[in-house]
This record gives sequence, structure tokens and C-alpha cells, in this order.
Amino acid sequence: MTGEAAELNALLARVATLRDRAAFAALFAHFAPRIKSYLMRQGAAPALAEDLAQEAMLNLWRKAHLFDSSKASAGTWLFTIARNLRIDVLRKEKRPELDAADFAPEAEPDPGDGMMLAAGEIRLREALKILPPDQMRIVELSFFADKPHSQIAAELDIPLGTVKSRLRLAMARLRAALGDRP
Amino acid sequence: MRHHPGDDILLAYASGVSDEATGLVIATHLAFCAQCRDAVSLMEKIGGGLLDALPPAPLAETAFAATMARLDSAPPFARPARTASRDGTPEPLRSYLGGDLSSVRWRRMGPRLAYLPLLRRGGTSAKLLRGSPGTEVGAHTHRGLELTLVLKGGFTDVTGNYGPGDLQVADGSLRHSPIADPGEDCINLAVTTASLKFENFIQKIAGPIFGF
Ligand SMILES: [Zn+2]
Repeated sequence: MTGEAAELNALLARVATLRDRAAFAALFAHFAPRIKSYLMRQGAAPALAEDLAQEAMLNLWRKAHLFDSSKASAGTWLFTIARNLRIDVLRKEKRPELDAADFAPEAEPDPGDGMMLAAGEIRLREALKILPPDQMRIVELSFFADKPHSQIAAELDIPLGTVKSRLRLAMARLRAALGDRP
Repeated sequence: MRHHPGDDILLAYASGVSDEATGLVIATHLAFCAQCRDAVSLMEKIGGGLLDALPPAPLAETAFAATMARLDSAPPFARPARTASRDGTPEPLRSYLGGDLSSVRWRRMGPRLAYLPLLRRGGTSAKLLRGSPGTEVGAHTHRGLELTLVLKGGFTDVTGNYGPGDLQVADGSLRHSPIADPGEDCINLAVTTASLKFENFIQKIAGPIFGF
């Protein structure tokens, strides 16, 4: 993880344990404009994207105690919040979610001091930066275009098989970088 | 467990592209499958990396103050109280059933088959299916995608044998005639994105009535 990402985790841990408003302000400055950017890429109008970015930050404030820094970075956690908000508000559907207690009854969220970052996520982000452009394009579209792969293939004018094989190659690289093997 | 959804289907769930019915069957497979949970967790980390790398879209100057003003009236989120399942039915299936699998009120469809519709959005629907050992659903092909997750028992078709937690992904290229394995009833969670094409005359007529 870059120094910045570790710092963001520490800020989130301060919100969780101390309800620290200065830490919240710093998180807002970093994440709110990125969440707005993410939602605009999904087709939300700027005003709506801005409302939802604020809603996502309010969710962060309300749910900070559920954040577990040993599992993922603040950025990843915020991504899941923004994604779920998008499904809820833009698509008016529920997102069917797991309950971790079904398979890991002992796991309680532990924000810790936020500095316990998985080294794997540092390597993952480095690997993301050097992904071949054709693979990166498919990964980005998968996350931002809100379209099935068949439609992405049609729009890029390449066979669906090519989309899937690029995706498979990208996933293999990123999985290796994170250091977990199936 | 031998049959898993491919990376493309898992990625659609992780990125939030999946519709609700597909999300239900994928998330329920995840409750059975640590390997696919790890894959989705990796994908969410990719999503986090991409989010962090996005060029910021500045908010209006008033936005920050407006959010700060709402913090005091935004109490910490409390998880809804959880009642333990008596038969191990996992979330999110449990929420959609309104309880445990063993207390489902089945609708009969002939002497050997029963079903329960769970969700329908446009052409996509999710339902539970229950067949006694040896039940044949009838040979069919697919107009869209059919995802079948085994919850109890098992079934066999030309592509192999499926047991609890296994997920079959069938598309237009597959013609199959699944048969419930001997032993106990086979209970599946099935999602179809379009109606199935049955070859048998009776099922051709009965299929639409039961929503297949
Ligand atoms: Zn799996």
C-alpha cells in the first residue's frame, strides 16, 4: 500500500474509534470527489452523483465501526459502499449480500489502528498500474460501464471470447500479485 | 464442490452489474464456496484500486459543510438482529425465503416436482425447485442464461454431476435433461434470464403457466 492509502486507513480507524471529525473531513476531501467521478462514469448526472457521494460519506460515518482494516483498504471499503448505493438508488434494486456470520462466526470487525494493511493490496495496486492497456481497458469497463461483457465486446467490436480471455489474463496477474491462489 | 461460476460472472457481481436475481444465486454460492469468496474479495480490491485512481470530480463548495451538518443526526448503523438458522440456510437466500429452507411452503407441480417463485424482474426470474429422486425436468434448451445452484441433494446431466453448492451455468449452446440423483430430494435455486424451450408437448404448455 502506498503511504497515502495507509494514512487513509488510519483516518478511517480514527472515525470508527474516536468519531474524529477532522479525520472524517480528510476522508471526505479524498473520497467524495472520486465517488462522484465513479458515479458519473456509471451514467449519473453530476448533481445526482454529488448527492450520492455525500450519501456515501454519510454511510462511512455511520458504518465506520464495521470497517476491518485487516481485510481491505479504506478505498476498497468505500468502493463497496458506492457500488451498493448505486444499485440501491440508480437501479432501485437490492444487492443480495452474504452474512459473514454464516461461514466465519468468530470474525468480529476490528478497525485496529488502521496500519495493519495487507501487503498484498500494495502489490495489487502496483500490478494494476502496469497491466497491459488492452487488459486494463476490459477491467475498467467491467467496473465502470455497468454493462454485461457481451455488450462491451459489441461496443469494442471484438469477439466475446477475446473480452473473456483478456479478463482471465488480467485476473491471473492481479491474483498472483495479491498473493492468493485459488 | 466442483462447479463454480466463471470470473466474468463473479466480476459482474463484484462490480455491481449483476441483476438482483443473478446476484441472489451468486451470493448464495459464495456462502458455500471460500474459493469464490476470495475471488470476489480480490475483485473488490481491484474496484478499490480503480476508485482511488480516478480523476476527482470536484464537489460544490457547499457540499462539505452540508455533509458535516448532517453527522450529528446520523447515528451509528446497527446491524439488524440476526436469528440463527435451524437448518443452516445461508444469507442472502434466507432473507428471500423469509426463513429456513426446511419451512418453505412449496407449490406442487405434478406428483414429483414442487417450486416456489422468489423474484421476477423483466424477463429474469429466480425460483426454488424441488424434485424427488429420479425426477426428470424434461429436455430443454435455453433462450438466455440459466444458473442453477444445488442447495440439497444433487442432479446429473450430460455435463456432469452437481451436488450441494455446485453452480451450473447453461446458455443457448446447451441442451440438457437434468435428472435428480437417488437418495434425497434435490432442491435447486434457479435463475433464468429468459424462458426455457421445452421439447415435450405437455411441458411446452405447462412451462409458461408455472413461469419457466
Ligand atoms: Zn465457487
